[in-house]
Amino acid sequence: MTVQSIPSASTRPIVDLADIHLNLRSGAGEVNILRGVDLQVSAGETVSVVGPSGAGKSTLMMIMGGLERPTSGRVTVAGQDIGSMDEDALARFRRDNVGIVFQAFRLIPTMTALENAAIPLELAGHEDAFEAARASLEKVGLGHRIEHYPDQLSGGEQQRVAIARAFGVGPKLLLADEPTGNLDGATGDRVIELLFDLQASHGTTLVLVTHDTDLAAQCGRSLHMADGKIIEDAAPAARKSA
Amino acid sequence: MSGSLAVRFARRELRGSLKSFRIFLACLALGVTAIAGVGSVSESLLDGVSRDARLLLGGDVEFRTTHTPLPDNVLSHLESSGNVARTIEMRAMARKVGGDRRVMVELKGVDGAYPLFGAIELNDGVPFEGALEQRDGRFGAVVDPTLAGRLGLAIGDTVRVGEGEFDVRGFIGLEPDRAVGFASFGPRLMVSEAGLATTDLVQAGSMIRFHEKVALAQGTDAGEWITSFREAFGEGPWRLRATDRAAPGLDRFIQQVTQFMTLVGLTALLVGGVGVANAVRSFLDQRLATIATLKCLGAPADLVFWTYLLQILVLATVGIAIGLGLGAAAPMIAIALLEDLFPFHVPVAVHWKPLLTAAVFGYLTTLAFAVWPLARARDVRAVQLFRALIVPPGGLPAKRYIALTIVAALLLAALSVAVTDDQRIAVGFVLGAVASVFLFSVAARLVIAAARRVPVPKVAGLRLALANIHRPGSATSTVIPSFGLGLTVLVAVALIEANLARQINDQIPERAPDYFFIDIQPHQAEEFETLVKAIPDVVKTEQTPMVRGRIIALNGTPIHEVEVDETVEWAVNGDRGLTYSAEMPPATNLVEGEWWPADYSGPPLISFDSNIARGFGLGIGDKITLNVLGREIEATIGNLRKIDWATLGINFVIVFAPGTLEAAPHSVLSTVYTDTAEAEAAVLTEVTDRFANVSAIRVKEALDGADRILSSVGIAIRVIASITLVAGVLVLAGALMAGHQRRVYDAVVLKVLGATRLRVLSVYLMEYGMLGLAAAMIAGLIGAAAAMGVVGQVMRTDFVLDTTVLVTTTLLSMGITMVLGLVGTWQALGRKAAPLLRTD
Repeated sequence: MTVQSIPSASTRPIVDLADIHLNLRSGAGEVNILRGVDLQVSAGETVSVVGPSGAGKSTLMMIMGGLERPTSGRVTVAGQDIGSMDEDALARFRRDNVGIVFQAFRLIPTMTALENAAIPLELAGHEDAFEAARASLEKVGLGHRIEHYPDQLSGGEQQRVAIARAFGVGPKLLLADEPTGNLDGATGDRVIELLFDLQASHGTTLVLVTHDTDLAAQCGRSLHMADGKIIEDAAPAARKSA
Repeated sequence: MSGSLAVRFARRELRGSLKSFRIFLACLALGVTAIAGVGSVSESLLDGVSRDARLLLGGDVEFRTTHTPLPDNVLSHLESSGNVARTIEMRAMARKVGGDRRVMVELKGVDGAYPLFGAIELNDGVPFEGALEQRDGRFGAVVDPTLAGRLGLAIGDTVRVGEGEFDVRGFIGLEPDRAVGFASFGPRLMVSEAGLATTDLVQAGSMIRFHEKVALAQGTDAGEWITSFREAFGEGPWRLRATDRAAPGLDRFIQQVTQFMTLVGLTALLVGGVGVANAVRSFLDQRLATIATLKCLGAPADLVFWTYLLQILVLATVGIAIGLGLGAAAPMIAIALLEDLFPFHVPVAVHWKPLLTAAVFGYLTTLAFAVWPLARARDVRAVQLFRALIVPPGGLPAKRYIALTIVAALLLAALSVAVTDDQRIAVGFVLGAVASVFLFSVAARLVIAAARRVPVPKVAGLRLALANIHRPGSATSTVIPSFGLGLTVLVAVALIEANLARQINDQIPERAPDYFFIDIQPHQAEEFETLVKAIPDVVKTEQTPMVRGRIIALNGTPIHEVEVDETVEWAVNGDRGLTYSAEMPPATNLVEGEWWPADYSGPPLISFDSNIARGFGLGIGDKITLNVLGREIEATIGNLRKIDWATLGINFVIVFAPGTLEAAPHSVLSTVYTDTAEAEAAVLTEVTDRFANVSAIRVKEALDGADRILSSVGIAIRVIASITLVAGVLVLAGALMAGHQRRVYDAVVLKVLGATRLRVLSVYLMEYGMLGLAAAMIAGLIGAAAAMGVVGQVMRTDFVLDTTVLVTTTLLSMGITMVLGLVGTWQALGRKAAPLLRTD
């Protein structure tokens, strides 16, 4: 049973998934990770994905980011059919369109905050990569920490560097995988606040995987996944009232 | 754009890298040092030889004849071409007047013009000028300080040689034209030509060499002069040398040692290559998250590959630079150690060719061993960032990287062949190296499979140790090949050396005579035999006539136009001893043809050494032309003999049938076998007292000399071989270090579960012991096979397996693995469990 997503009246969908299946082969036989997912997300939407462990939340996000290839189905992101792209084309596609924020921050330990934030800009060939990265870091409140290495920063600061890095190229789609999972409550709240502020000011589409229902509630739309399928797709308020 | 980005990323990534690359740097630096050092020392020596070529040769050209001086017409031609100096060399017995000891010396009589180039330097500032002249009725002599030591000579003492007596006037510090004393039988004693005449030793048939050294007139080109000389005089009984072959024996020696040492250096580099691959792999394993992150952020795979390849190349440059620095400095150290050995000045300079070669070897090794793990890291998928454990992708890397690895390996093989003089040895080395690497990889798999199949032991520790050997990602597949290769070289070298030593110390002396007496005049032969046989405990004496002659043509083709196999080239370089016999000598091993009838009276017929015949490509019925005392004799090969040189009895490559050599002036060679030390001493005293012209070569002394050379060469070989082992140990340490984190974790978990430290330690000890034992056993097998091949095929003697060597190596190997492993484990055991478990 697939719940029809809520279509946006004004714009073309930035994410358009049609009948996505993903089967992985393991020692114990074939595992069906995703079992026929249809989803459309409009530009500027904020979408949370919730559900129990193993429901397929992260995998769904990886498919949107071109990190995982579905066994079958069509993936269109930012108007491009990414199913037909090879690894390098996908890398370039991500560079130009997708920002990702990880639970474990994933900063490169040998690079300073500034250099970390500049990577996507450098990869995109921006002449002013470092100026732009500096500006991004200032926006996340780390203007005074730009020469610090990841291990010299607190968890919250590291995640803010990761957010500055993700927003650097002005992505159309931002994917966040449990962004507060490794942070304490107060720090997590500040990071989320920052994430939503930047999302709003850039007009970026945000897809956020989380176990935190309060966090999910801050999104305009919430998908509930179980057993490789979206079993509920509603505005959080609507779901709460249901 | 992506190139400059790769440089930028590589530079940032390098910040934290050096520490994890210590083994990588050490492996490369060690191999490169060995190759660059050996090459630099060799170039320095050869450079010294060629710079001092005129000094070493003693002229622009040198003529050498045996038995008789150059014909007068040739001599006058030389005198019209420039300045000529003559020296006469022979072996003789010397003793201090009033003393009992007798020592064989290399006697040299020189004329007033000698030396044409350079100067004889005497110790303590004594001038050479006039030192040899006659004063108060006695000529002077200058002697090697070792002779002074052996005879107890001081300046002013009198030394007797033959019938002559000489005042010792100085000790020789430097004799420029005496190229390296490797082949000399005794210390130098130098007198004037006139002084030599008083000894009465210059007799027909005696083994005397005449050297005419010519300093050509200013502006004469030596090459052109030689060509026109050959046109005018053809080939004669002389041997003609120019400065390009000033010290051919020395050149050859340096080249052979260089070749051997370079191969050992290459082995070290090959073993180090395994370390390079391990270091790169474990470095990239730590960087998998970074690589995945870069890919996630939009970095194409090639950018990742180049980013890391650049880092590896920069680090390789550091390792290679260290190796080149040490290698370039090697000549200075070597010259300090070897200076006394060589009679020429060894210039200190940086030799670019060996450094460049070593650098190219270093980079090719890096590429051959690093591209594979780099290519696999390139294929890490970004999606892995979302998983708890990031693992490198399995399977083969992309085709072009496999091709790149193969190209680097082929270039490495090609360069190894190119830098080695002997192509067969080089190809053998390359094939052997490939085969060994392959065998060790197979062996490692077998060990893993065996550890898996062994019935589960009841003892928990042993069970764990066995499991550690075969579990996925175990160190077995790295430790066995890398450590095993080094050990194999060590085992092979040790076994070859043990076999050589056994030959020299045990086998040869059992059968060898005590003395060779040379230059016995034919009319003295009978008296000599009677005298010797009368001495108690003399068990045997053999006599045979001897003439010197030189092979100058094979089947009518001049010898220098014939392709002669390298292994028997010695037979055409210089004079050979010739003899004649009607009867077949006892213990002759005739392998082809028949011995001639005792009353043979046909054209010249010879019996020839079968091994040399094979090297010459000759058989029965073929013809060999010899120059004997200026006369050319063409003889037909009538039969072939197999000669066992190890008996050290009287062996001649060429034995003539009756009717050819009898009339030539010749001397008699005699061996004497005794049973007791008293008899041995008595023989020397009585013979040299009675026959002043007869010289004695004491076999024991010659063997001691050979043993000394062998042990010093042995030490050098062992030092170099241990470089390979050090490389192996480095790789081993690297492999164990790579597994360190896991070991810490294992140790902590075991401790949490109640295992005492001793218990954990014993598990690791058993694991390392088993790994070391497995590596040693395989290395023992392959090393013994290699040694057997060398001893049997190259040295052509029986191979005996020295079990002591094998057992020592095995224990050594186990010891090293256990100690190294324990050093790492000890640290692991010290860790407190709580912090590690909290972060997990």
